[in-house]
Amino acid sequence: MSRLLAAIAVFAIVVSSFAFSSNVALGHEHRNVGPYTFVVGWLVEPAYVNYANGLSLDVTETEGGKPLEGLEKTIKAEVIVGGGAKTLSLNLAADEESPGHYQGRFIPTKTGDYIFHLFGNAGPTNVDERFESGPNTFDGAVSADQLQFPDKVPANADLAARLDQLQTLVIAGIVVAGLAVIASVGGLVMRRT
Amino acid sequence: MRRLAVIVACVLGGVALFGSIADAHANYVRSNPASDARLVKPPADVRIEFSEPPDPKGSDIQVLDASGKRHDKGDVAPSGDPNGLKVSVGPIGDGGYVVAWTATSAVDGHTTRGNFAFVIGSGPLPAVPDVGASALPPEPLEIAGRALSYAGIALGLGTAFFVLFLRVPADSEEIRRESMLLLAAGALVFVGSVALIAEQGSKLPPRLGAVLAIRAFTGVVLAALSVAPPLARMRPVAALANGAGVMTLGALSLDRPRRVIALAAGLAAALTATLVSHATALGSVKSMVLDFTHILAISVWTGGVVALLVIVLLRARENTPEQRRALGATVWRFSVTALIAVALLVTAGALQAFDRLVLINDLYETPYGIALAVKIAMLVIALAIGALNLLRWGPRLRAGLAARAALVRDTIAESAIFVVIILAAAFLTAFAPPAQPSAAAYDQTQHVSVLRLEMLVASAQPGRNRYVLRVHQGLAPVQSAEKVAFRFTMIEHDMGEQELVAVERAPGEYVADGSPTAMFGTWRIKAIVRLTGREDVTTVFTLPVGAGGTGTSVVITAAPYTLIVFTDPSQAQAGAPLAIFVVVIGQDGSPVTGKALRATFSGPSAQAPIDAVEDAATLGPGRYKIAIAALDAGAWKVTIGIGNEVSGTYSLEVSR
Repeated sequence: MSRLLAAIAVFAIVVSSFAFSSNVALGHEHRNVGPYTFVVGWLVEPAYVNYANGLSLDVTETEGGKPLEGLEKTIKAEVIVGGGAKTLSLNLAADEESPGHYQGRFIPTKTGDYIFHLFGNAGPTNVDERFESGPNTFDGAVSADQLQFPDKVPANADLAARLDQLQTLVIAGIVVAGLAVIASVGGLVMRRT
Repeated sequence: MRRLAVIVACVLGGVALFGSIADAHANYVRSNPASDARLVKPPADVRIEFSEPPDPKGSDIQVLDASGKRHDKGDVAPSGDPNGLKVSVGPIGDGGYVVAWTATSAVDGHTTRGNFAFVIGSGPLPAVPDVGASALPPEPLEIAGRALSYAGIALGLGTAFFVLFLRVPADSEEIRRESMLLLAAGALVFVGSVALIAEQGSKLPPRLGAVLAIRAFTGVVLAALSVAPPLARMRPVAALANGAGVMTLGALSLDRPRRVIALAAGLAAALTATLVSHATALGSVKSMVLDFTHILAISVWTGGVVALLVIVLLRARENTPEQRRALGATVWRFSVTALIAVALLVTAGALQAFDRLVLINDLYETPYGIALAVKIAMLVIALAIGALNLLRWGPRLRAGLAARAALVRDTIAESAIFVVIILAAAFLTAFAPPAQPSAAAYDQTQHVSVLRLEMLVASAQPGRNRYVLRVHQGLAPVQSAEKVAFRFTMIEHDMGEQELVAVERAPGEYVADGSPTAMFGTWRIKAIVRLTGREDVTTVFTLPVGAGGTGTSVVITAAPYTLIVFTDPSQAQAGAPLAIFVVVIGQDGSPVTGKALRATFSGPSAQAPIDAVEDAATLGPGRYKIAIAALDAGAWKVTIGIGNEVSGTYSLEVSR
C-alpha cells in the first residue's frame, strides 16, 4: 500500500511539474546542416537566470543517426545576446559518456533570448549556423523568481537598475539642496541690505 | 468688471460656435484602398481620410506603379467625407502600386506627406519609399510671423486690460505711453499676420487667409486707435461699440471708448490665434476654450507687466512715502491680477499638455516637447521674479520704503523672459504635437531603453489582424533593425506562445500580419526589437480583444497597473442588470490577483459604491467583476479604486 502511495506521489509531482512549466516552450531546435542533424538547446531546461547552464549540442548523421564525434576540435561556439551586443566564446567539450553530444557551459545572467552561433567544419561540411531561442525552437532564459521561497532574491540587473534610480534621486536631491542653500544665502544677503 | 464679463462671455461663445473647426496637421487616418490592401480588381478612385480638413488646392494624391509612372488623373477633390480627398484612377492592371499623398491643412496651412501601397492580384506588395518626416519643419518666416503676432496680441490685450481695470493713466504722458504700447502691439500683430500670409504664398487656404486677415485688421485697429484717439470718438465707431453692448457713451471719459475697443481688438486677435491652433486638433470645444483661456491669461500677465513697466514704473516718483504707497497699491493690484492669470495659465496649459503629450519623454525627445519645456522653464523663472516683486518689493513700497529701482530692474528682466516664452510658443504652435490620431483600434506608446515604441493594432476583434510597431530613437525612426518580433500570450488561458516576425514597411515602421489573437480576451504582446550591436529591447503591450464586434474594452492606466475594463452586456441598458469586468495587469504584464477593487459612481442619479468580486476560478486570474443591479440612462463616470493605492475612471454610457 505504501509503495502504491509513493508511486502516486511521484506521479503527482511529475504531473505538477509539467503544469508548473506549461507556459515554457521547452525543447531543442533540430536543423539539418549538410548530411548532419544538429540539435541545439540548453543543457538544463528551463534555463533560469544566474544558474549554471550552457549550450547543448547533439550532432548525428541524418541518415542512420550515427553520432558525429570530434567536433570539439573543428567547431567553435559562441553565445550572443541581442544584436551582437555581447558575445561569449564557449569552450565546447565532448561528452565522453554520450558520443555526438557536446556542451558549452556558461551562466545566463539576463532574461530573454539567446543565440548560439556555431561555425567551423563538421567533416567536409562548412558550418555557420545561428540557433535562436523562441517559441518554435528553445526557450530563452527566464527569471527564477517563481521558485524562490520564502524571500525573493533580486537579480543583479534589478539591483543595478535600482542603484541607478537611487543615484538619480541622490543627484536630484543634491541639486535641490544646492538651490535651497543659494536661495537661503540670497535671502540673508537681501535681508541685510 | 461686468462689461469685461460680457466681452469674455461673447468671445467664449464665439469659440463654442467655431467648435467644429478642426485641427492643425492633416494626418492620414484611413484610405480606400487601405494601406497594404490586396484587391481583386482595380479601384475607380483612391480616397484618403485625414485627421482634419485638408485644402484640396494645396494637396495632392499620386498613384504610381513600380516604375514610378502616374496612373491617377490628377483631379484631387473632396471625397464627401468631412476630412476626405479623392483622386480618380485610370485603367490599371495587376501589380503593386504606391499612393503618395501630400496634404495641406485647411486650418493653418501646415503640409504633411506620406505614402502607402496596395496590390491588385496576387503579386508582392511594392516597397514604400522613404519620404522622410510626415510633417515638414516650419519655415523661419512662419516662426517669425507667429512670434510677432503673439507678442502683439499679448501686448495689446495686456495693455488694454491694464489701463481699463488696474490703473487708468493719470496724465497726458501716461496716455502717450499707453498709445505707444498699443501702436507697437498693432504693428506687431499686423506684421506678424502679413508674414504668415506671405509664408503660405499661393497655397494659402481660404479659411486660414480669412482668419489671418481678421487678425491683421485687429492690428490695424489697435494701431489706428493709438495714433488717432479721436477715431474712437467718431459717432459710427462709438455707436458700433455701444451697439455691441460693451460700453456706454456719455458717462465714460473720452479715452475709455478706445480702450474698450482696444480690448475687444485684442480679444479678437487672441481668438484668431485659437482658431488656427493645435487646440482645435482634438475637435472638442473644451480644448479650444482651454487654449483661448491660456492665451488670455498669458496676455494679461505678460502684456500687463510691460504696461506696468512702461506706463507706471519708468516714470513713477517715490520722493514721498505717499507716492511710494500709491505705487505699492498699483503693484499690489497688478500682482493679484497676475496671480489669477498665472493660475489660469498653468491650469489651462497643463490640461492641454496632458492631451497633446503621449509620454513625459516627449518633453525632450520631440520638437513640440522641447519648445514646451523651454516655455515651462522660462515661466518658472518669470514666476520667481514675479514672486519677488509680490513678496518683497510690493510690501516695501506699501510700507513707504523705496523699491522702484528694484521693481524696474525685475520687470525688465521679466519682459526679456517673456520674449523667450513667446518665441517658444511660436515654435510650439508650429510643430505637430506628439499625440496624433491614428486609425488603429489600439494605439499605445512606451519608452524603453531610449527607444520610443508605439504599438498599433488595426482591429480590436478576434481573428486576423495587423500589428504595427513604430520605433523611434529621439526624433529619428529606427531603421533596418536586425529583427522585430511580436510574441503573443493570452492572460486568461494558457494558449502557448506564438511569434510573428515583422518586416519594415516604412522607415521605423515594422508590420506583421497574422491571427495570433484569435480569441476574445486579454493578450500580452511582447515586442522585441533587436538592433545591431545592442541588447534586445523588449516590452509588453496589453491588448484587449473584444467579442462580437462591440469593441467596448478600454485600457485605463492607473500606474503601476493597467486596467482592461469592459461591460456585459456590451451596450448598457437602463434598468437592466450590468456587469463591469476589470482585468488588472501589473507592470510585467501579468494579471494582478488579491486586490480589493471598489467602484464609485457619478452620473445622472445616486448609486452606492460596489465592491468587486474576484473569482479566479470562474473569471480568470486578475479579473474582477462589479455586479450592478441597474443604472439610470445617461453618462456615468465609474471610478475604480484598487485598495487605497490608485484609481482610474471608466466612462459608461447607459442607453434608454
